[in-house]
Parts: sequence; C-alpha cells; structure tokens
Amino acid sequence: MSEHPYRRLSPLTPVARSGILIVAVLAATWRDLLRGDLGPFGWLLLGLLIVGGIYGGTSWLRTKYWIESDELRVDTGVINRQSRRIRIDRLQGVDIVQPFVARLFGLAELRMDVAGGSAREGSLAFLTLNDARELKDLLLARRDAVRAGSSSPPSALGTSAPGPDGAGADSGDAAPGLVPAAPSPEPDRLLARVDLQLLLLSTLLTPEAISLGVVAVFFGVLPLFVDDAGGVSVALPVLGGLALVVIRKFAAGYGFTVAQTAAGLQVRRGLFELSSQTIALSRLQGVVVSEPLLWRKLGWARLDVAIAGYAASSDDNGGPSASTVLPVGARTVVKRLAHHMLNASPDSEHREVDLDQTALTPPPPRARWVSPVGRRFMAAGTSEALVVSREGWFNRRTHIVPHARVQSLRVTQGPVQRLLGLADVHVDSPPGPVKVRARDRLAGEARAMLEREIMVSRQARAPRTAEPLIRSPAGP
Amino acid sequence: MNDLFAPPGDDWRPVSPQLCKMRRVVLLTTTGILLIAVIVIFLVFDLPGWLMGLSLGAVLAFAVLAWAMIGRSSRAWGYAERDEDLYIKHGAMFRELIVVPYGRMQFVDINSGPIERAYGIASVHLHTASPGTSARIPGLPADEAARLRDRLTSLGEAQAAGL
Repeated sequence: MSEHPYRRLSPLTPVARSGILIVAVLAATWRDLLRGDLGPFGWLLLGLLIVGGIYGGTSWLRTKYWIESDELRVDTGVINRQSRRIRIDRLQGVDIVQPFVARLFGLAELRMDVAGGSAREGSLAFLTLNDARELKDLLLARRDAVRAGSSSPPSALGTSAPGPDGAGADSGDAAPGLVPAAPSPEPDRLLARVDLQLLLLSTLLTPEAISLGVVAVFFGVLPLFVDDAGGVSVALPVLGGLALVVIRKFAAGYGFTVAQTAAGLQVRRGLFELSSQTIALSRLQGVVVSEPLLWRKLGWARLDVAIAGYAASSDDNGGPSASTVLPVGARTVVKRLAHHMLNASPDSEHREVDLDQTALTPPPPRARWVSPVGRRFMAAGTSEALVVSREGWFNRRTHIVPHARVQSLRVTQGPVQRLLGLADVHVDSPPGPVKVRARDRLAGEARAMLEREIMVSRQARAPRTAEPLIRSPAGP
Repeated sequence: MNDLFAPPGDDWRPVSPQLCKMRRVVLLTTTGILLIAVIVIFLVFDLPGWLMGLSLGAVLAFAVLAWAMIGRSSRAWGYAERDEDLYIKHGAMFRELIVVPYGRMQFVDINSGPIERAYGIASVHLHTASPGTSARIPGLPADEAARLRDRLTSLGEAQAAGL
C-alpha cells in the first residue's frame, strides 16, 4: 500500500480511555506510594498500569485514518491488525459524542452511522474536538458531493479528485490528507433551544420524578408510625434507580439546541456527556409529537423523528434517544420545528406542508365496544402532503408521515371488530418511533382510506428518481 | 358482505391446496405423537383410567378444532398482482390485507423447508424498509414462487423509489 497522508487520533486517547482506571489505581495505592513502599497488591496494579500504558500507546501509534477514493479508511489493532473501510456515500449521519472523561481532556468521539453496521464499526475515539468537527464537516460535504454524482469533490477538500468508482485514487503527493471543508455558505440558524427552567420543570413532571417523590415521602414518613424502620433499606435501591433515571433524563436534555446547518439539522445536548448529531432531513420518514398528560395543560410537547437507517435507537439511557429532536418545548415551538423539518425534506418541493391543515376525524361511536377508553383519544386524517394519526390518553402522540414516505399499507380486523364492522388501517414506516395507524374505523371507510392512500402515496413518490443506494442491490 | 377484504381487481389468487394438506398431515403426526405420549405416561405412572380418557379426549378435540382452522386459514390466503403493488390477504379470525408497492421493495425471499419441499411448495416473503410489512405468501407451488419472485424483483427494480 502506498503511503497516504494519514492522521492519528489524539495522543491523549490512551489516557482518556483508561482515565477512570488510573484514578482507581491511584486512589487504591496513593498511601503506599507516599510511603515509598508498595505492597504486593500495589506492585501488581502498577505493573498492570504500565502494561496497559504500553498497550494504549502502541494502539495509538498503530491507529491511522485517512480518506481515499470515497472511503474513510481506518487501520487499527495491536495484535490483530484491522483495516476498516467506511463508504462515505453510505454514511447516514455523523455524530460527535463527548463522554465525561474525554470532555475533561477536550476530546471527542466521532460516531458514524453506516447503514447496516454496528455502532462500534463506525467510531473514531478520540479526536480533539476541533479535529472531530473538521472531519465531520469534511465527511458530510464529501458524502453530499458523491451522492450528487459530481465526480469532483468540493475544491476545498484539497485532495486529488477520485472518481465515484474510485478510478482516480489519490496520488499521495503533497496534498494534505484532511483539510477542513469550506465554511458552510449559509450560516447556522438556531431553531430551538431548551432552557434550564423549562427542562427542570418538565423533568419534575414526568411519571418517574413524581413516583420518586411519592416513594421518598412515603418512606420518609413511614418511620414516624412504624418502629421497625427496616423498610427504608428496601426502598433505597428503588429510590436510587428512580433518581438515576430522572437525573439521566435531565442530563441528556441539558443544553439542548437544534440548529439548521448546511449538512442538515444539528442537535446538540448533554450535561456530562456532550453529543452532537446531524440529521439529514432528506432521510426523514416522519415525526411524532408526544404530549404527556402532565405536560398537556402547560402546553408542552416533545418531538421525535424517524430517520431512515437510524434504526430504532432505543431509549436505553432513560434519556432522550437519538431520535429525539426536542425533549420538551412549547407546543408552538414543537409545531414550528416539525413544520420546518417536514418542509425541508425533498418531497415537499411542490407543496407546502401545513400541519394544521390536516383534519382529524375520530372513529365511529360503536368503536367504544372495542376501545372503551382509547376511542375518545383516537383520530386520524390526511392532508395534501401528510397522513396523520393520534392516540393515547396518558401520553397523547400524534404520528405524522409524508405520503411520499409510506412504505406499505395494511388493514387488519379482529373477530370483535368484525362483529362491529370495524377495522384498523396501518401505515408501515421504517424502524423508529413513527407509527401512523387509524384504529377502529368503519370497514368501508377503512378500505376507502387504504385505496386512497395507495393512490396518493404513489403519486407523491412518483417524481422522485431512485437513489443508487437503494437500486444497486437488486433482490437476491 | 365482506367488502373490506374484496379483491382489488378480478379475484384473489389462492395458494396451493398442498399447503392445507401439508399442515393437516403435520397436525395428524403431532396429534398421534401426543396421544401415544399420553397413553405411555398414564400406563407408566399407573394413573386412573378416567383421567386418561379425559386427556385423550382433550387432545382429540383440540386436533379437530385445529383441523377446521387449518382449512379456514388456508382458504383465507390470497394475493393479487396489480400494476404497481402487490395485495395479500390472510387470516380467518384475525384478518389482514397488505398492500406493498413494488417500488418500496428491498428484497424478496423464497423459503422452502424439507416438509414444504416434499409437498412441492414454497413461501415468498417481501421485505420493505419497514419491519411492519409482514408480506408473506406461504404455500405457493415452487415454480409459481420462482415466477413471482422474478416478477417482483424486476418490477421492484423498474419502479424503485428512494427511501
């Protein structure tokens, strides 16, 4: 392999990776260290630390990354050498994440979402924050250039021009491997921000925070009436767990900002762990507006989106997941943001998407025999560009999908529904939070809705040309 | 009466009657094994005879019910190829009608296990980007399955739409 102008990760990487370990070792042995007399345990730990340090250093030396013919290539490995190639045109998104320890050193991890790849595959840890930002901009600019089919990437890239099929590889001359892309032509525009007061109040009004309060009060009051206070020790893990969930929710929503940049919608958030993710609006599949019961009176809502290839990023930290675009906001802000996102996706070139235009109708009264409580909160409808459904009393969710993004359609009918002449209509979307479904409609209406949606979604997607991404692997 | 699941065009294409036959044979086999197992257990542990009769009766009743259900559900399967989408309906108790636009197809699978092969049938499974799309047609004659797959693949390519 010819020499390429490669780059290395930040030299602080080994320190940041083992930061907590170092602290632990020092904490366990500092007294012995001061005495100048290490016990056998101390020596063992010190030995481990040195071996780890050597390993980390070698790993750092061996890890190189560079861009070559539309691929990001990463060589790693101390014992087993690995060479990864990440196709830039397959990148779904590039996120910058700063775990707490890395943040102390000013480092950041670059996470690349590759269609069908695991998270571990598309990660570079750690870079300095500036390098991470530069590389991210560069990758996104390069991806857009490749996708646009232009054989020459933006001139600011500084590398020689490789063809889309990799014909003209880098000649490896004086051209620097990575030069930041030209500053984006349009300035970043702030769309929404979650201020501290709102975040705090809304976090306190979640079921988790309220049950935390109830449990705490209950067990705080209990010892006053019962002599045996053994129950308190049982409560502690429960309290701890709940508190952790609440704190994580708060931390993940801290400093939440949403901005429109040249590369897409940029979402930044985090208290301990900073993350910045860019959502390509061209891959937007739909949005969900959630209005939990406790927030509804106050006029607050939350906005989640479904992005193709982002998979169903689950809410594993108890905080906003990768699909959350606004953890809490006034309904008008949420609506405006949803509006902005839906209008920015390419299907809406011709028509202006208007959320309020969509008239939602409830299911017929006889639906109460199947969904006695839920019926009153169900509604569904379509507008020129959107198909919308709403359901839920405790957490009211409004699911919105553009006609052009409908994957497949289904009508289902259970035995009880058949007796009543009712049926559900489902709109299938890629994995994600968005699920439009019109439940318990009259059978005739359901079939009519299905047929109409088939026609409308066909027309909505007709003018679009196929992306090569989808077309190239043509069935087995 | 059932407009909801009316065919989109002329008529639903049914699946092969071999599907029904295969499922019933599988049912008979498992029922037989179950009956023998019940008898053996009762003889080994020397349990009262009336209880054995009751258990055998329950197994048999269940088998008769399943026999009827298999007939209904096999007849309920149907599909129709339109110009731009594939319609599939199935289910006797819980009914479902699925419409998949060819342009949304990601890939098509054919599956045929050893028992299915013995009956000369296969199932075709359409995948879109959505996991909710449960577009599966079981019990197609093998050559019809291959024809359908080829047709779906070519139509899918011709009408492919971006995500």
